[in-house]
Amino acid sequence: MVNPILLIIAPLSAAFIIPLMGYGLKRIVKFIPPLVMGFNLVVSLSLAPKVIKNPIIVFLGGFPPPFGINLYVGPLGILFSCVISLVGFIVSIYALNYIKQGAEQKYHALYLLLLTGATGIVLTGDIFNLFVFYEILCISSYALVGYTGEKAGIESASKYLIQGSLGSSLILIAIALLYGKFGTLNMADMASRIDSVHTMELFFPLVLFITGMGVESAIFPLNAWLPDAHSSAPSTISAILSGIAIKIGIYALCRVIFTIFGATDILQFLMLLGLVTLLVGEFSAFSQDNIKRMLAYSSTGQIGLIVFAMGVGTQYGISGGLFQFTTHALSKSLLFLTTGYMIYRAGSMKISALEGMGKKMPLTSVAFTIGAFSLIGLPPFIGFPSKFMIVYSVLARQSGLYIVFLALVLAGTVIEGAYFFKVIQAIYFKGERKDDRAKEAPLSALIPVIILVLLIIGIGIYPKVLTSILDSSAAELLDRIGYIKEALK
Amino acid sequence: MDFLNNYIFYIGAFGLIFIGLYILLTRKNLIKLIIGLSIVDTGVNLLIICMGYLKNGTAPIFSRKGLNPETMVDPTPQALVLTSIVIGVAVLAMALSLAIRLYQHYGTLDMRKIKEQKW
Repeated sequence: MVNPILLIIAPLSAAFIIPLMGYGLKRIVKFIPPLVMGFNLVVSLSLAPKVIKNPIIVFLGGFPPPFGINLYVGPLGILFSCVISLVGFIVSIYALNYIKQGAEQKYHALYLLLLTGATGIVLTGDIFNLFVFYEILCISSYALVGYTGEKAGIESASKYLIQGSLGSSLILIAIALLYGKFGTLNMADMASRIDSVHTMELFFPLVLFITGMGVESAIFPLNAWLPDAHSSAPSTISAILSGIAIKIGIYALCRVIFTIFGATDILQFLMLLGLVTLLVGEFSAFSQDNIKRMLAYSSTGQIGLIVFAMGVGTQYGISGGLFQFTTHALSKSLLFLTTGYMIYRAGSMKISALEGMGKKMPLTSVAFTIGAFSLIGLPPFIGFPSKFMIVYSVLARQSGLYIVFLALVLAGTVIEGAYFFKVIQAIYFKGERKDDRAKEAPLSALIPVIILVLLIIGIGIYPKVLTSILDSSAAELLDRIGYIKEALK
Repeated sequence: MDFLNNYIFYIGAFGLIFIGLYILLTRKNLIKLIIGLSIVDTGVNLLIICMGYLKNGTAPIFSRKGLNPETMVDPTPQALVLTSIVIGVAVLAMALSLAIRLYQHYGTLDMRKIKEQKW
């Protein structure tokens, strides 16, 4: 059996080897990220069948918890790790030709650090370790947003940094308060003792956690940094930030709410937060004329949908939320990657500048359309089964309030459809392109796009491939006792 | 006075955190915002240290004779604080280098004037 710790060690060590290799072997530096991410993908996929049956616990340094740090490689962790390494792999292939100017080696090193942070967060079983990986993720994303050194990037990076690091400070306060109460940092140990103190004493740390992690996952009142940061970064970075980074915040939030606190009574509040985030995101996206900004706001909306599904709180609802997470990771990275070369060829981010692209860049345009349809939730793409699952789980609760919520969510979906069709209309049916500059994207950009399209259609037609892992992930979140037993065995 | 005596560290830590938050909410200059962040950071570090503090406590060295395990200070928060200080330094360095680049682009650090990106 492969040791799951390699999932963290491989990208981390590769990230620090890259600057060293930059001295002599500049040409091959850019091939390291696809290599490492491919390795991670293979390891995650090979671990998945075993992990679904029995979670793997790794003691770091040989100390058993609660004294040492442990990795809890459960179905949920391995699902996230698979998606992270898959999207990381695909985006890094795309970056081979896309990242040409600027600090190339720094880009690749930071890119791997970001993925290290993300993988670390989903695998760790120690709350302070989670915070450290969270900071690795955040700091490398600040740096990546501003790495081109252009005006817009630097401005949005500094705004992101101020909001993000305040959020991390809040998380650290919460961790300190919990440590003061329980004298332990292990999540399972903490969860087993959480019932021994009064609820009011836990309220303040929980609020701090929700606020702090809400900044990174861009839940509504804290999402001001997202459209700036995602739209001013290069497209590969937007893809990885939108596809991976913001969802990791939701993972951390769910881990804290479900596993550590077992706070099922705030789930309706979570639903409400998700609903508001969804509506705000979709309405703002509708009024944008900059395509990357539109996609960034659409990410806010999708985050709202995922949080909403998590708030349903049933086995089926959480499975749906995790499915929607997979959908969004694949579709949104596809959308950002396809728009990357469209913007590059058109020379502008305005939606009106993309008119007539359907004839000049046929493959890219079709891929964009598929990504958009998948996010809206049309069959036979992956977005359909995931949205269907969420709708079904809400209806299964059979409560009037939930049905009202669901109606609002579906209204949000209609708006989502409206703005995506606006772009598709501009690409295919509006205007004529005379200039010959616009030609199809290069092969290194088309291959990742085609892989994503095949995955989106394949899982959309046969969603059962994911059923077992989604079900056991949802069960892991809902079954606190089982988590505690496994981790402290 | 007993309350003050027992909780003075917590009051100090949260005082620093709120001072930092006040700066973040009211100032417009980027450097001042970064100072605010740094003060919040210091407050949080102090809070973590408070969690393991004992009056007249000793270092947790078991091999040395004459030290009573009950008066030993909890070493975990100190390890946490070391990590968090390092992270704080990294964020501070990142923030200051961004501030330098921002000044080169805009010629000002007033966040009210730097608003090319907006809703």
